Amino acid sequence: MRIANHPILEFPQRETVKFVFDGKEVTGLAGEPIAAALHAAGVRSLHHSSRFHRPRGLFCAIGNCSSCLMTVDGVPNVRICVEPLRAGMQVETQEGKGKLV
Amino acid sequence: MNDTADVVVIGGGIVGCATAYNLARLGAGKVVLLERDYLASGATGRCGAGMRMQWGTETNCLLSRESTRMLEQLPELLDVDIDIELKQGGYLLLAYTEKMAAQFKKNLQLQNSLGIPSRWVTPAEAKEIVPHLNTAGLLGATFCAKDGHCNPFKATAAYAKAAERHGVEIRTNSEVTGIEAECCRITGVKTRWGTISTPRVVVAAGGYSKQLGRMVGVELPIYPERHEILVTEPVEPMQDSMVMSFHHNLYCQQSPHGSFIMGIGHPDEPESFNTESSWQFLGEMARRLIEILPPLAGLNVVRQWAGLYDMSPDRQPILGPAGDVEGFHVAAGFSGHGFMIAPITGQIVAEKLLGLKTALPVELLDAGRFARGDLFVEPSVV
Repeated sequence: MRIANHPILEFPQRETVKFVFDGKEVTGLAGEPIAAALHAAGVRSLHHSSRFHRPRGLFCAIGNCSSCLMTVDGVPNVRICVEPLRAGMQVETQEGKGKLV
Repeated sequence: MNDTADVVVIGGGIVGCATAYNLARLGAGKVVLLERDYLASGATGRCGAGMRMQWGTETNCLLSRESTRMLEQLPELLDVDIDIELKQGGYLLLAYTEKMAAQFKKNLQLQNSLGIPSRWVTPAEAKEIVPHLNTAGLLGATFCAKDGHCNPFKATAAYAKAAERHGVEIRTNSEVTGIEAECCRITGVKTRWGTISTPRVVVAAGGYSKQLGRMVGVELPIYPERHEILVTEPVEPMQDSMVMSFHHNLYCQQSPHGSFIMGIGHPDEPESFNTESSWQFLGEMARRLIEILPPLAGLNVVRQWAGLYDMSPDRQPILGPAGDVEGFHVAAGFSGHGFMIAPITGQIVAEKLLGLKTALPVELLDAGRFARGDLFVEPSVV
């Protein structure tokens, strides 16, 4: 879901790019937060709580809360709500706390 | 208000809590513990959460050996249901110079003679223990598998809970504003809430102990020194062992929670009560760290803070009575390793105060050793 028309905000034209989410090809707009692209693609569950592994969705959306951490291009614990999307990114749901090596 | 105690313990870190617990357990009567802020708000709660037995003096080896044995079964010993997050993943102490290697091998002999299972490892073996270790320039290391991690807040809480069960009264937000003495004996302790009449006081106030001693004219050779530290985001377990380098003046371990805790020592750090964080620390810490543990460059820092080491001239604690004032006891001067030796320390201080036989022969830890010149400086401190 995307808001196309808004009474106050204007949305700049952005290039549509392809990226990979959990092995599947998805499209999004270059430069928008990865989380926005996933939201538009219908992905709602982004991460899981560390103790009880309950699903977590988009929460603070400003890079503070750790609710949306994913592994992006092999880097763990990326805050996808503030990480701009680029073509060809490998975005993966992160199991546990993420592997550094 | 008639406020009296048989012993007042000043300081709500792990040493104060362990001392109060042991005093109550051994029948000292009414024990009151005074803490300026909250429990573990000083050096205990700011420390690197490590525990090791690899030391260079007999006293430190014995204190840490006995404390490790106690930490291994602390919840059972204290009969409390608190997980202290003990993780015995070892300590790897890196040697980069011939002089350091020689000192380490000398330390190993001492440690092994006291039953501490430490050993020499080659750079290749060190890499097996910590796979992401950069072994360039490394001559070897010493390793003790029984060293490791323990949560300072939880261990302190365990002692506090056990102490309260034995009747200790813990009063937080109670800064000591004066210690009263009459004719060379302790008579009371003042806080802003009033005066507690007591014949005995134990000062376990870390870097602030010297100030408390001066309230009754006892000059303790303990001074505060800031040490900075940081914690990173958590990742999956990848480093079992603490890595410590006296060459880089650095330590770094991964806690059971997954975060990395690390700090560096600074030789030019002046004596002060400053506990502010500095921006210089972040860069210097990172530069030194990624030299020996390169992949950790990819970690985000979550938080940095600072705490005070309570330094003594020989980097070993002062335990027991001090000065000419009867009833004045000290448990301070831990020089950066008070948390890990707190369990046996609390017991010894209580035993000394009550005139009991101490669990370890610790004559060397009395306050008079500086006047006598009986100094053997601990070489292994970051």
